[in-house]
Amino acid sequence: MTTAVLSEQRRNGRLLRNIGFTALPLVIVLWSLTDLTLGRELVTWLPYLGSGFMMNVIISLCAMTLGTTVGAVFGILELVPFKLVRYPIVAYVQVFRNAPHLVLIFATTYIFPFEIVVAGNYLPFPDWLKAVIGLAIPASAYVAEITRGAVLSIPTTQWEAAKGLGFSRGQALRWIILPQCLRRSLPPWMNILASITMGTSLASLVGVHELLHAATDASTSVRRLDFTIIAYIVVMAAFFTLCYPIARLTLHALLPDRPPDPTPRAAFQDGLRI
Amino acid sequence: MTSLFVNLTNRLGLNYEFLATGYEAQIWRDGFITTLYLIALLIPVSLIAGLLFAACLTSGKPWLSTPVRAFVEITRNTPTLVQLMFSFLVLNTFVSNLVGGTQNNPLTPFFWVVAVVGLHIAALHAEAIRAGIEAVPSATVEAARGIGFSALQILRYVEVPLALRASLPAIVNNLINLVKLTTVGNAIAVSEITYASIMVWTQRDNVVSLMIVILLFFSIINLAVARIGLWVERKLAIPGYGL
Repeated sequence: MTTAVLSEQRRNGRLLRNIGFTALPLVIVLWSLTDLTLGRELVTWLPYLGSGFMMNVIISLCAMTLGTTVGAVFGILELVPFKLVRYPIVAYVQVFRNAPHLVLIFATTYIFPFEIVVAGNYLPFPDWLKAVIGLAIPASAYVAEITRGAVLSIPTTQWEAAKGLGFSRGQALRWIILPQCLRRSLPPWMNILASITMGTSLASLVGVHELLHAATDASTSVRRLDFTIIAYIVVMAAFFTLCYPIARLTLHALLPDRPPDPTPRAAFQDGLRI
Repeated sequence: MTSLFVNLTNRLGLNYEFLATGYEAQIWRDGFITTLYLIALLIPVSLIAGLLFAACLTSGKPWLSTPVRAFVEITRNTPTLVQLMFSFLVLNTFVSNLVGGTQNNPLTPFFWVVAVVGLHIAALHAEAIRAGIEAVPSATVEAARGIGFSALQILRYVEVPLALRASLPAIVNNLINLVKLTTVGNAIAVSEITYASIMVWTQRDNVVSLMIVILLFFSIINLAVARIGLWVERKLAIPGYGL
């Protein structure tokens, strides 16, 4: 295959992707324009749906912040030479990595109280905050695995070289190992971000006012089948516009910057690999 | 036996008293069985659909690959719960209208869970298998074409066997996701384990006790899936091929 054909294919692929990216919003706009009563209904409900979507974004960001902080610490603790520290954390990671997100959201919602007493003051403990914790638990388990894997992927000779230069173990971790880990763990971290963002819709099942919940509310009060359809398409389009760029960015972070080498030498090596 | 277990766990502060009653224990047991049944049904469904999608994606025919690519991208980037609600509330209503009334509709919530989760995981499988097919060296494919294999034969005898081996780790990962995704059936009243547990804990207020069992249950299933995946990987490995 020549380079021209390859670049042609790549350009076609990009065109297709861009169409794909705008297809869902396009369907919504065109349909609202062809049936104006439907369009007017949708416009009146859009702010309500928007407020729901804000909740998704807030839950996702909070859960990822909390999960990443806890997970990074746990990941490093998984490599500590003391079994007493390591084993409980390995157990935590194994159990919560394998647990369904929905089960954890149910767990935090039903187990935590609806208000906490802090120094005699009753502070409300809202459901969305419980959903944040419910999603932060699996996020922390995934991040712990990524951190552990990234630290282990750095060759041991680097630790030795750092020691030779007079770095302590902590200093070597902070200044030499972790900066490299950061770059390696970015693509899997973004996968988790996308997965947790999509997981926020599960919070609707415990009564958090988020996008899916808002769409269900809207469709039950309008009582039109076409409105129900378009409301759910809006929900899909919203999640798609949030998650698709994350997926594309992950792919970019994974791929090397230069295009594949089209020289016969590379093709020859390709053949040799069999 | 059951009463001994209830007594022992009671001393630890856990409440499994419902196991001694007939009705709630029955609901809970059925919940476990429904979840296991869903998993056993979904694994072959997702694998077959994933293979078909991957074949379409790599066919090189735009009228075949473009719709499948669009489906895969939308499925991968929207929450499964939204897809499930959309299918159940919209597509199910269409089917009901078509056959003339809800009472004639043969499609149960169980069917929709299998269809939506199965196709969602199939889209993830398809991406993994497609990457595997594209990783098959072009020289191998050309050699097969040189011997006189047709496009379908190349896919069947050369590309898929090699691609499956390369994509097995990703497929096992997707299967673990599949096990976790069966819980969304809860949203449309499929009586799988979380739905059954909600029935029990609204009566008994023993969320922590049930949660421990559910988490252990999913850990064990996923451990088993991962182990079986590893075993298959070893079994299929070609010595010297590096897969």
